Amino acid sequence: MAAAVQHLSGHEAIAARYHDVDPVYGETRDLRLLGFVFFLLSDCILFSSFIFAYVYLRISAPAWPPFLNGHQLPWFDTSFAAMNSIVLFGSGVTMHFALENWKHLNKAKFNGWLIATIVLGIGFLLGQAHEYSVVGISWTGTTMGASFFTLTGMHGFHVFVGVLYLTILGLQANRGVYTGSKYFGLTAGTLYWHFVDVIWVFLFFLFYIW
Amino acid sequence: MSEVFIERGIALVGAILVGVTAIVQLKNDWAARGIDAGLTKVLLGLMALGCVLALLAAANVLGVRT
Repeated sequence: MAAAVQHLSGHEAIAARYHDVDPVYGETRDLRLLGFVFFLLSDCILFSSFIFAYVYLRISAPAWPPFLNGHQLPWFDTSFAAMNSIVLFGSGVTMHFALENWKHLNKAKFNGWLIATIVLGIGFLLGQAHEYSVVGISWTGTTMGASFFTLTGMHGFHVFVGVLYLTILGLQANRGVYTGSKYFGLTAGTLYWHFVDVIWVFLFFLFYIW
Repeated sequence: MSEVFIERGIALVGAILVGVTAIVQLKNDWAARGIDAGLTKVLLGLMALGCVLALLAAANVLGVRT
């Protein structure tokens, strides 16, 4: 069966691989995946719009950080952000391990890596909350503050939704919703989490390195 | 030991660990085909790039404010 499938491509290969499990699943998996990719692309466009607005505001500003009431605003804390970034990037790796273990039918390890991902995601959110409390600027008053809180807030909301999403996926996985060959939800969850990680790569560069 | 030193140390060690793991996973998944595998490879690659940025920021090479 596996050898025969290797000679097929695209939709045929997917349909052949999953036909013995659920013919409808095999036929619709590609379409659902494509739909999810379009969802990620639309999210990408949303972030891109705000990122371009920030870049435009920054390069057209007479000074950066801008001045407020005669005082120049402080730079963001690069060392704390680097540490918090690693917490988020680490969660991407643990999520990847979770999916790989599910594919290899190792449910105990899947649960362990998934919990690690959720804990790291919450850790990142707590780090962001700490940063908001000490950053020394507000949403209003300057383009720097408005851009920072809008972009990182929108990203933080995505992380929060991701934590809920992964929790639900974990519950579903343990209730037998997914099997070793039928786990589209877990694939989508992993892609979403990687996407959230990658958005942070750009935000980290723009706010803490540039 | 200052707070900044500890933060940079954790970021430095973490960036190496996570970055190397991401690259190894990328290498392992290199032969995989399909939309999801392709997207995962792109995202893992960008995440490894993020680790490099975090590493350089922690080492005070990037993001130095004067």
